[in-house]
Amino acid sequence: MGSKAWLVEDESAREMLDRVLTERPFLLLPPLHRVPLRVGNIVEIVGPSPSAKTHILIQAAITCILPRQWKGVNYGGLGHLAMFLDLDCRFDISRFSDLLNHRIMEAANGSSSEVDCQIKESEAQNATTKPYNEELFASCMRRFLYIRCYDSSEFLATLKTLHYRLQKERETHGVNVHVLLIDSIGAFHWIDRGSSSFSLEGDTRKSLHLQSVTETVVQEIRKLLLVHPMLVMATKAAVLGNRYSMNDSKRNYRTWSAKDNLHSRNVTSSDQQVPYREYMPAVWQSLITHRILVRTTDADFVNGEHQNVSTYLSEWLLPPLNSVDKFIVRDTGVFVLS
Amino acid sequence: MAPLKNLETEYPIIDSNFQNFCASHGIFSVEDFLIHDLYMLAAFAEQNVSSERLKEGITQILSIIDDMHQPWLNGMELLEDAKRNKHFLPTGIQGVDLLLGGGIRVGQLTELVGPSASGKTQVCLQTASNVARNYMMLYLDTGNSFSPQRIAYFLGKTNELASAQAKNQILQKVMSNILCHSVFDIFAMFDVLHQLESNLRCQERGGGCRIRLLIVDSISLLIAPVLGGTSTRGRALMASAGYLLKKLAHQHNLAVLVINHTVGSEGGTSKPALGDSWKSIPHSRLLLSCDRGSNVYNVSILKHPSMVCWG
Repeated sequence: MGSKAWLVEDESAREMLDRVLTERPFLLLPPLHRVPLRVGNIVEIVGPSPSAKTHILIQAAITCILPRQWKGVNYGGLGHLAMFLDLDCRFDISRFSDLLNHRIMEAANGSSSEVDCQIKESEAQNATTKPYNEELFASCMRRFLYIRCYDSSEFLATLKTLHYRLQKERETHGVNVHVLLIDSIGAFHWIDRGSSSFSLEGDTRKSLHLQSVTETVVQEIRKLLLVHPMLVMATKAAVLGNRYSMNDSKRNYRTWSAKDNLHSRNVTSSDQQVPYREYMPAVWQSLITHRILVRTTDADFVNGEHQNVSTYLSEWLLPPLNSVDKFIVRDTGVFVLS
Repeated sequence: MAPLKNLETEYPIIDSNFQNFCASHGIFSVEDFLIHDLYMLAAFAEQNVSSERLKEGITQILSIIDDMHQPWLNGMELLEDAKRNKHFLPTGIQGVDLLLGGGIRVGQLTELVGPSASGKTQVCLQTASNVARNYMMLYLDTGNSFSPQRIAYFLGKTNELASAQAKNQILQKVMSNILCHSVFDIFAMFDVLHQLESNLRCQERGGGCRIRLLIVDSISLLIAPVLGGTSTRGRALMASAGYLLKKLAHQHNLAVLVINHTVGSEGGTSKPALGDSWKSIPHSRLLLSCDRGSNVYNVSILKHPSMVCWG
C-alpha cells in the first residue's frame, strides 16, 4: 500500500505551470524587455564607461522591491528583496532613492506626464501624498540590501557567507531575494592579474590570482543558485571594438586577441562578430546565459521641455537578436524609445 | 596572510589536528579558505575520525570569514548615512559649485582633468583655502605647485571687508588646517595614505578635528611612470590607488579631489590621461579648459553619478 502512494500525482502539468509562473515570474525589464528573464538566468550587461549600465541594475532592483499592489494602487513590482554587490564602489544612494520616489509617484498618480506637471505646479499636492508614500518608500528601501567590496578577498568572503545571509534575510523579511546585482564583475581584474601567481609551497597551494578567484566566484554562484534561485545581473565595463569606434582608422583587434591568450577566449575572427574586447576568463563566460551590449550614441533626444538627454543603444548579443533598441534615462528610470 | 596556528589561542577549536587536516588539502591560512570549496572540505571531514570537531572548526572559520567583508546595509541605513555624513564641500568657485550642485561631494572621488596651464592647481588651491576655513585638509603635492602665497591671496580676495586682525586670524587658522605633503612617486603616496587611514581610525575613537578633504595634485604624475605598455603591474597599482582613495572617502567621510592631465588622441583631439582602466574609477570627472584670448575658464562634466554629460 505504501508503494502505491508514490504513484499518486501531486499536481497536473497545467497546475505546475501556473504555480511556477506565479512564483517565478518572467521579468520584462526595460531595456532588456525583448528577452524575458527569470530566476536562474545570469545576465551580463557589457558596455563602455559610462553607458547607463548601473541604471539598468537600479531599474531591476526597484522593480523587484516595489510591491505588486499597495493600498489599492498597482505598482507592478515583485515585493521581493534585491541584493546589490557594489564592486565598483560608486553607487549613489541619493540617485537610487530619487528614482524609487519617482516610480512610486508615477504609479500613484497614473501617468508620468502628470507627475512632471505636478512637480512643477504645487508642492502642496506632494505634501498630502507624502505620508503614505513615506511608509511605502521606507518599506521598499529596507528590502534593498547593499554591500561594498574593496578587493577580491572581500568579494569572495561575501559570496562564501551569502548562503547564511540569504537564509537570515528570508527569516527577517519573510520574502526571498529575487535579484542579485553585481556592479561590476571585472572591477578587480587588473589588481588580481597584478598579484603574483607563483605558488609558494609547491604545487599544492593555490594563491589568490585571477584564474582561481574567478573559478571560485563561478563555483559559489552556481552553488547559491541551486539553493536560492535568483536572477543574477552583472555589469561589465569593456572597451568597444572597431565596429563601434568613432575613428575607423586601425583594424587592430587581431592583435588584441593574440595578446591575452591565457585569459580570454578567442572570439571568432569575422569582422562583424567582435563588438568588444573580452577580458573575463572562459570560466566566467561559460556561466553567462544572457548578454546585452549597451553604449551611448551621439544623437541627442530632445525631451518635451527642450532638454537634451543622452541616448543609449542596447543590443542583445546572447541570444543574438539583430535589433538595436534606443533608450534614455529619465527621472522615473529607463525609458525605451524604439 | 597569517598562518592558521596564529588563531589557535583565540579559537581553541582550530587545534593542531584541524591545522593538519587543512594542510593536507593545501590550506595554510584563512585567505586560502576563500578559494577552496568548503562543502567539499566538510565532506572530506566526514570521512575523518574526529569529524564533528573538524566540522565545528570549519564553521568557526566561516564566522571568521564573515568578519572579513564590509557590513551589509539596507537602503534606509545607506540613505541615513548619506544624509548625515555625505555633504557637499563648497569650493568657493561659483561655476564649479553650480555645476556640481553645491560643491565636491564627501564620500566620492572627483577628478579634474585639463590640459597644462588650464588652471587645475588654481582650482585646487582655491578649494583648499575655502574648505580649510572650517575643516582640516591634506594636500598631496607631486610637482611643487603648492603655494601658501596664493592661498593667502584667495583668502584676501574673499575677506576684503574684514579688519586686518580678523584677516590675520583667518589666515592663521586656514594655514594651520592645511597639511601639505610632497610625494614624488606612487609608493610614497601609498605610504601617506596608509598612514592617514590608521590615523583616521584612531581618531574615530578619540574624536578631535578630522580631515575632510584630500587633494592629490596630480595623480597622473604619480601613475603615468608605472603604466607601461604590456605590464599589468602598473594598472594593478593604479586600480589599487583608486580603491584606496574611494575607501578613505566613503569610510572616513572625506571628499577626494584628484588632478589628471590630458593626452592627445586620434583625430587631434585630447582625452584624459591614464587610459580606459582609470575611466571607470572616479565618481565624477570634470573637464577644465582655458580660453587664452578671453582668459575665461570653462568647466564641464565628463561623468557624474546622476547627471548626464552632453557630447
